Amino acid sequence: MLAVDLTGDAVKAKNGSMVAYDGQMAFKKMTGGGEGLRGMVTRRLTGEQMTVMEVQGHGTCFFADRASEINLVNLRGEKLYVESSNLLCTDAGLRTGTTFTGLRGGATGNGLFTTTVEGSGQAAIMSDGPAVVLRVSSQYPLSVDPGAYIAHTGNLQQSFQSGINFRTLIGEGSGEAFQIRFEGEGLVYVQPSERNTIGGDI
Amino acid sequence: MNFGPVTGGPGAPTVFDPHSLPSDDNVNAYTFCVELKGSQWFLQKGKMIAYYGRIDFNGVGNGRFDRLLRTSFHSPMHAADWVVAEGQGKMLLADRAFDVNSYDLDDGNLTIRSGNLLAYQPSLALKQSIVPGFLTLIGTGKFVAASNGPVVFMEPPLRVDPQALVGWADCPSPCHHYDHGYMSGVIGGLRSLTGIGGSSGEEHQFEFVGAGTVLLQSSEMLMAEQAIGTVGAGAEAAGVPGAGYGGGHGQQGPLGQLGVPRMPGQLGDIQRRLGL
Amino acid sequence: MPFRELNSKMVEAQVIPGQKMFSQRGAMLAYRGEVSFTPSLTGGQGGVMGMIGRRVANEQTPLMSVEGSGTVMFGHGGHHIQVINLTGETLYVEADRLLAFDGTLQQGTMFMGSQGGVMGMVRGQVTGQGLFTTTLKGHGSVAVMAHGGVIELPITPNRPIHVDPQAYVAHHGDVRNKLSTALGWRDMVGRGSGEAFQLELSGQGAVYVQASEEKL
Repeated sequence: MLAVDLTGDAVKAKNGSMVAYDGQMAFKKMTGGGEGLRGMVTRRLTGEQMTVMEVQGHGTCFFADRASEINLVNLRGEKLYVESSNLLCTDAGLRTGTTFTGLRGGATGNGLFTTTVEGSGQAAIMSDGPAVVLRVSSQYPLSVDPGAYIAHTGNLQQSFQSGINFRTLIGEGSGEAFQIRFEGEGLVYVQPSERNTIGGDI
Repeated sequence: MNFGPVTGGPGAPTVFDPHSLPSDDNVNAYTFCVELKGSQWFLQKGKMIAYYGRIDFNGVGNGRFDRLLRTSFHSPMHAADWVVAEGQGKMLLADRAFDVNSYDLDDGNLTIRSGNLLAYQPSLALKQSIVPGFLTLIGTGKFVAASNGPVVFMEPPLRVDPQALVGWADCPSPCHHYDHGYMSGVIGGLRSLTGIGGSSGEEHQFEFVGAGTVLLQSSEMLMAEQAIGTVGAGAEAAGVPGAGYGGGHGQQGPLGQLGVPRMPGQLGDIQRRLGL
Repeated sequence: MPFRELNSKMVEAQVIPGQKMFSQRGAMLAYRGEVSFTPSLTGGQGGVMGMIGRRVANEQTPLMSVEGSGTVMFGHGGHHIQVINLTGETLYVEADRLLAFDGTLQQGTMFMGSQGGVMGMVRGQVTGQGLFTTTLKGHGSVAVMAHGGVIELPITPNRPIHVDPQAYVAHHGDVRNKLSTALGWRDMVGRGSGEAFQLELSGQGAVYVQASEEKL
């Protein structure tokens, strides 16, 4: 559960994620994720659904969603890439948008577009179980199961890796499994659980 | 504005790299890190979430592992669900955000619900338990298992709801215990005739006696288990080893799903629908 | 007798001869000693009328009584368990969230509609718990289930708490509840922000809120 102390300022949060508050709060639905008309059109087109509300007031507001674990990400100008379903709450000052993910989205079943959060401030992302943050650097590339990936920051290249052999006895319904390989410099957030995906089978 | 976590919420995030990740230990309660130094681990499919380094994953059916299988893998029913990981690097294991823990066996034996076993060292031998849905590990080595909530260790004598059972070590096999006071009691008699009164849901337990340790998980509801660990009959009753006999009941009602054997004369689902 | 928390999802209770406990059917994980589990039609109290009352109230969580001598471990569905110790006050909780409780506690059902008039009735509709809720009163322990972790928020006279009806678990103390809207009617159309209705709790006591908007 996430507690946000507000002193007259605002946060953007996933629709319906407020579980309790004390003090004075006002809730406002933001059409199209608060990105204005153009953002709305983009989201329509990209299928990256996000319904957001703006919470403003004085007091403490508690957010939670389906008992997910909440991870705080401090952004200092960098860009956070996160699946919109995993984004719980952001500072109102952070900009959100959509970006093309390349093929990864296809394998994670989350569509080909992902949500970006940019600016300076805090964002709260959700995971099934507490996320593990893994550093990727030039000498340490990282392979991640598509179903366990939730977010990343930094300058990372993603590619598919399918070097997993399931040469079983009679090719027993195993097939190839995919991983996403991250190279470059940055941080990757993985959750201790796997969504059902087309790819990850390991 | 201040984002503050509530008790049980997030702390300061720790960033891990290949050096700071632990070797063969828990990263947190839900994630386990295995270090491979040219060694091999058996790994259940779908439990690896990320890895650093060069690690190969091969199905156990791969001919190369013939010798390895001869010593460490004796479960044809599960062959398609296991892979062998080998190479250099560190890999993270997790399962449905369950708690994961490693266990060390020293020339011992431990039997565990097959869906809860994530990985084990080939120095252990994996065999199917005579209790359907359970696997027995014999030998010396380390294995990693998941549980819904932390595992609670108990000493016999003890009676356990089948669905809360994670496994047991050193005990003689459990036997079934039926609450006959319930069956033959006055209300019980009436109930078995009319179906009125439902069941307490606790007529059937596994009974453990003798020396050993029983492992319990905090849940009676099992997460959707892959169709593994069930042997022939019994596959239809989720989580209840060996249940689902009496295939005459074309469909198992909610009671059946809860793992309660249908008693003769029970009206089945109707009583439940009426809330009795 | 108090429940001992083995971990966040499992509690242990001592059963002593002559002291009955009630638990939700199927919530026993393991036990030691001679303990019997008997389905309880009436929840143990109130006789037939109580039973009918419960049926009418649509509070039909099947309970069983736990008697004998030994140790029983309770848990259910991997849900988080919150142990609440009552010292004379009344706990209001949905019946299907009750995992186990002392038999000495006085059970009842309360018509929520009697609080807050029409809005109280709406509250029942919104929370899906019907217009009735279970009350437990006296001295003893109650183990309550919740989806995800639970936080306890104190309610003081000048600090009312607003709670999402779906995240509400239980409350105790001298608390009035009423349904409030933080939105205009226009925003409620089409689900609005999803926070159209809020439960406002004011008075003196505490409310338990779960980290999820899912019912059990």
